[in-house]
Amino acid sequence: MKQEDSTILTKYGKDSGFKVPENYFDDFNKRMADMLPDVEITPVDTKPSLWQRVRPLVYMAAMFAGVWCMLSVFSHFTDSGNALRISEVAEKLQDDKSNVDDFIMSGSVSDYDILNYEDSVMMSNEEDFTNDQQ
Amino acid sequence: MAAREKYDEAQVVEQLHNQATCKAAFGKVIEHYSSQLYWQIRRMVIDHDDANDVLQNTFLKAWTNIDNFRGDAKLSTWLYKIAINESITFVNKKKVMNQLSIDDDESFLVNQLESDEWFDGDQAQINLQKAIATLPEKQRLVFNLRYYDEMKYEEMSEILGTSEGALKASYHHAVKKIEQYLGETE
Repeated sequence: MKQEDSTILTKYGKDSGFKVPENYFDDFNKRMADMLPDVEITPVDTKPSLWQRVRPLVYMAAMFAGVWCMLSVFSHFTDSGNALRISEVAEKLQDDKSNVDDFIMSGSVSDYDILNYEDSVMMSNEEDFTNDQQ
Repeated sequence: MAAREKYDEAQVVEQLHNQATCKAAFGKVIEHYSSQLYWQIRRMVIDHDDANDVLQNTFLKAWTNIDNFRGDAKLSTWLYKIAINESITFVNKKKVMNQLSIDDDESFLVNQLESDEWFDGDQAQINLQKAIATLPEKQRLVFNLRYYDEMKYEEMSEILGTSEGALKASYHHAVKKIEQYLGETE
């Protein structure tokens, strides 16, 4: 403000040139106080109600209850989650055992062995068929 | 002359809500605020007698509505609001009585200034008042509150219900217009 209106301030100052009669404010204050009509004042109720008094306690109890609920929900999920994961892993290991064995065995089986295996299966099937015919 | 009692706003507001003490408390409010409200009103309506009437109406209105004042805002903010509304209403009514347009502020205020026996400013002060009279109502209000009363924009914002940014812009425009007017008249 000071910078912006400095030109006006230095040239014209703050005296607006307006005047008031002598003792105007003292007279006005007395006159004004005397002319005030009677009014009805509603007293402000400063005594807090029961709800206003117990409200902080209720809010605090609700907050603690909320925290307790959250903790119990989280701990439930964490425990059952672990249990679930351990059993799942054990089951999976059990299931995958055969695959693991197959995988290890596949390294030592050659194409010749596979063809031999297929021939032997075919021959045993044919034998079964001739036996059934007889 | 008896020494004036120290004004404690919180205590006065409390006393205002007690039937037994409210009248005496309002007397303290009048004593404390009459001068600052008078000068704000005077700069809006210009004439001393008009300012006296508007100030009286301001305090009467505040007193009859004192039950509605719950101390949520500052007492000074509430009183300034009433004073400004009363001033604007008074100026508009007077312009209608003088058969002037509501927007014709300048000629009305200059006439008021020239006919006021309680104005004894020199030519420079007359020019400044004429320059202020050329401003739109809101800018005139903002300029008077800031320049003469050195009111903070924050408080002004509460009284006028306008953002601080808009008030700063209003004040800036007002200063520029006044400087331009004074530059042309010199």
